[in-house]
Amino acid sequence: MTAMVESLTELRGSFGRGFNWQLFLQDNVTGSVYQMIWIAILTGITAAYTVSKFNSVPLSTSIILVAWVIGILMVVIGELAHRHSTASRWLKENLLSSVSNTLLTLFLSLFILSLARSIWLWAYVNANFNPAETAPEFQRADGATWGVVWGARKLLLTGLLEPEHSWRVFLALIFIVGLWAINYAINRPGLRDKTKRVRQLVVGLWLLSPVILYIFLAGVSAEGPFVKLSTLLTGAALLVAAYALFVWQKVIQFRWSGLAVWALAWPLAYVAWRAVGRSGVFPPLNVDNWGGLLLTLIVASSVIVLSFPLGMILALGRRSQVYGIPTWIVWPVAIIATIWGFTTTPQLLAEGRNTIEKLFAFWPILIVVATYFFQRYFQGNVVAGASTTFIELVRSVPLITLLFMGIIMAPFFFGEGISIAKPWPVIVGYTLFSSAYMAEVIRGGLQAIPKGQFEAADALGFNTLQKMRFIILPQALRIVIPAIVGQFIGAFKSSSLVSIVGLFDLLGIQRAILSNPQWLGLRKELYVVLAIVYFLGSSVMSAYSRRLEVRLGLGER
Amino acid sequence: MAVAPGGRYREGVKSMAQIVSPPPQETQEAPFWRAVWGYVFDVRFLGVLGQIGFILLVILGARAIGGNFAANASKLGEAQFICRDGSFSYRCAYDFMSSEAGFDISDTVLDYVNTDSYWYAFYLGILNTLKVALLGVVLTTIVGTFAGIARLSTNWLIAKLALWYVELMRNTPLLIQLFFIYFGVILALPEIGKAIKPFGLPIFLSNRGLNIPAPHLTSSAAAWMAFLVLGIVQFQVLWVLLGRREERTGRPSNRFRWGVVSFLAVVLIGWFISGAVSDNQGLLVTKSSRIRELDNLEKIMLQRTGLNHLDDLDTLSEEEIAAVAFQVCVLRDSASEPNLTRQLRRMGLPYKVIRTDRADQATKKYVEGNCEAFAAPKSVLAAERSTLENPSSHIIVAIKERPVVWSVPAHEGFNVIGGSKLLPEFTALLLGLVLFYGGSLAEIVRAGILSVSKGQSEAARALGLTEGQRLQLIVLPQALRVIIPPLIGVFLSLAKDTSLGIAIGFPDMYNVSFTTMNQSGRTLQLFVLMMLVYMLISLVFSVLLNWYNDKTKLVER
Repeated sequence: MTAMVESLTELRGSFGRGFNWQLFLQDNVTGSVYQMIWIAILTGITAAYTVSKFNSVPLSTSIILVAWVIGILMVVIGELAHRHSTASRWLKENLLSSVSNTLLTLFLSLFILSLARSIWLWAYVNANFNPAETAPEFQRADGATWGVVWGARKLLLTGLLEPEHSWRVFLALIFIVGLWAINYAINRPGLRDKTKRVRQLVVGLWLLSPVILYIFLAGVSAEGPFVKLSTLLTGAALLVAAYALFVWQKVIQFRWSGLAVWALAWPLAYVAWRAVGRSGVFPPLNVDNWGGLLLTLIVASSVIVLSFPLGMILALGRRSQVYGIPTWIVWPVAIIATIWGFTTTPQLLAEGRNTIEKLFAFWPILIVVATYFFQRYFQGNVVAGASTTFIELVRSVPLITLLFMGIIMAPFFFGEGISIAKPWPVIVGYTLFSSAYMAEVIRGGLQAIPKGQFEAADALGFNTLQKMRFIILPQALRIVIPAIVGQFIGAFKSSSLVSIVGLFDLLGIQRAILSNPQWLGLRKELYVVLAIVYFLGSSVMSAYSRRLEVRLGLGER
Repeated sequence: MAVAPGGRYREGVKSMAQIVSPPPQETQEAPFWRAVWGYVFDVRFLGVLGQIGFILLVILGARAIGGNFAANASKLGEAQFICRDGSFSYRCAYDFMSSEAGFDISDTVLDYVNTDSYWYAFYLGILNTLKVALLGVVLTTIVGTFAGIARLSTNWLIAKLALWYVELMRNTPLLIQLFFIYFGVILALPEIGKAIKPFGLPIFLSNRGLNIPAPHLTSSAAAWMAFLVLGIVQFQVLWVLLGRREERTGRPSNRFRWGVVSFLAVVLIGWFISGAVSDNQGLLVTKSSRIRELDNLEKIMLQRTGLNHLDDLDTLSEEEIAAVAFQVCVLRDSASEPNLTRQLRRMGLPYKVIRTDRADQATKKYVEGNCEAFAAPKSVLAAERSTLENPSSHIIVAIKERPVVWSVPAHEGFNVIGGSKLLPEFTALLLGLVLFYGGSLAEIVRAGILSVSKGQSEAARALGLTEGQRLQLIVLPQALRVIIPPLIGVFLSLAKDTSLGIAIGFPDMYNVSFTTMNQSGRTLQLFVLMMLVYMLISLVFSVLLNWYNDKTKLVER
């Protein structure tokens, strides 16, 4: 009791001490002409907005106003008494730190309130959740009609896929989720050491999963011979050659068991493939019917999986320092080609109908120009030249030109008879696009590796492949993980562009949904749901990336 | 490196040399085949061989694809390379571009009718793309900078609001945002008769787009532009001269203020001179109307109304005023209208404007007596006057003009006229791009500002710099170095993503090309053209921005 009285006396003595009105005004209002104008404008706008909100929604506005005034009082009393509670300190630091901040806080809380209120009214209070009542006569201008989401769930999830194939999608889902779960379980710290064999098996399944998913979702044709010896031998020979190369370059150790795995992988896989096809359990289905979330995930994950190795190759190619074709070969060949080219000039000149066409008759000059720049910037290094040209060309055009090119130009190159389902050329075009960007990201990582690392690897007598595999890439990739995940998120989001070229992905399927008289005009609802789906997908990926960063200790070393 | 005492160090060097240099006698005794073997299995030799092989492979592949293409081109599109005379030649690939386009373009920078050529339509498409890209870059910079600074605001609400904005924009696809803005927001606005005027400003928001006040250039604007250029030149000259004086005398002079003052003086003088000198605007009236200059109108109006002073007009009823109002014909969206009405309003005269699309329609109305006068540039009036039955009974009265007149939109029946009209597609595309890339830019700006260490700001404050000086001289120059490189990427993406206009029907280059493709069936030609233009745009953008980057980047020792 006495202590409290003492503290109150002390408080009274010090209350307001050290507070200077003039300084306060100078800091907050009259500091400069601009500040005064700013405060005046802000006060005017806030007052006008408050009045207008008070007229439309009196109750909530009053609550906000009262809370605001109480907050100000708390901060002012705390400030004058030199004693802050937790709440008043937080308020002072975050919401009411100055006059302009105080006004902004009021304005923004009213704004957020009205925004949240209208969203709440539209999405819940006035909304209709009944899937049966979605036709235009049930729709309200001030409320959402969420029934469409449940009503069109099949279209949203798998598009136009025939219902009798739905079980295959489920199977694929179970496979991938199951694999993930097993992977997660065996990598727990306690189990990690005991499950070496299982881990190898899981890694193998991960590597095989694209093929398995292809079998589930696209199917295998029953036609064709069971065993085609030439294919078997070619595949096996290529893999054995690759194994030999890796052993020769000392990237992997030679083991008879390893050789057996590499040599038998292709024949076994091929036979299994044919066996599945012959069995007729997974007959090929019409790939053009893929749609909805299924197609979005297929496109996004194929692009992600394919563009990463391709991007890595391009990045290494762009940075490669192989010994270029020597000048004494390049220039003579170029000059001979130019001279040969000029033999066509007279005819072209004679046939040219206008100045531009006549100028084209001198096209061999371009050979000389190209050779000059090639020599100057790449010193005859074809690998770097080709990679750089590809990356820069692809990066300078929009994605949808590549997607359209895939669809429209494919028949020109493959001939008329061959009809290719739309998703494949789109995936190819998208992968080319994505890999160019991926290459730039990985190149960033390669450039961040200090020169000393390269030199140290050279000093240890590592060859190029060893240097990359054991020294450079592990570090470079670790650095660019956030950027790579950023690319993945971009690929996932931009997969919505395939709807422009006529695929029925998550966004494209809304054309089919909206053309149904039952769901006419329910655009906003669908867009909101799609935005939420994409938002969740992207957020999960970026959260995972952040976890990965922490686990790898990025930014700490 | 610590030097070991005396002889030891020298010994060490000697022994190193012995190890490094190969024993000379071995190469001399090596047999011929071994030397050849050594050359063949040299990494350089193999590399060069591989690169030459790669080039040959590319040439062969291109030949195969090209041959396939040529075979298919003649089958798939017989019309692709047909000349006007019916012969088949690749040089006629672009001949069709000179023929009539036949489709309408909703939004064009220059005048266009559907009988113009494909080339012209394509050109207008490029202009539209550039329009969106350039406006987008400017607005994105503003929005992104604000959002980035808001992310770092001391006000908790502002920071959280900006965070949500950024997260929402970055985690949902641009295409869905575009669709939402176009279908969900702009097309959901009221029709133009009930257009929303936010805060009572002369801005009309309706489902036909946005009508905003805009400056109209009259014919004397060119003269004034010359003065503007002169002003800029003298600003620069003054800047340099004052700078030299500063260096010589050591006394600081406010270069910026003097520059602006003299710039404004030159521009203001130019405004009056170019306005006074030009006499392009005219008014076509009958001789009997007794109008010889605009000031006569006041007397005529007083006679008509029988009043003593124009201020007494208030005493008349609206019908009476409408009956005596000065009726004038103008061309729709011409600069003559705001120029004349501004002067009439200043004189306090009641007037009524009758708008027509073409000059001959206006003349017809004038002859029929629907309007007392026809306001247009003098050259138009002279031509129209000569078509009248009795030219000598009509005279052209000169009207004063301003170089730039402000045209404000207003309701006219069920339409809004005047000002500048932004069509819904354009508005949606611009808004979508700006909001989306504003989110990306916000993160870049935030990272840039955070990269400037706190000590810099504290040092600036300790030196007594004002907050403005601190930002302008200390923080921004350092932040810009971090901001600009990723900024280049954002701007390039923005320029390329204007191609998404096709999804909502904005006639950018991609959309126009696509329509042309569908109409003419010339897919390849247009793809080549389109890609070249996109590459050119990307090239110009990146060259300009990289040049700026080189200027601002840190000069390392």
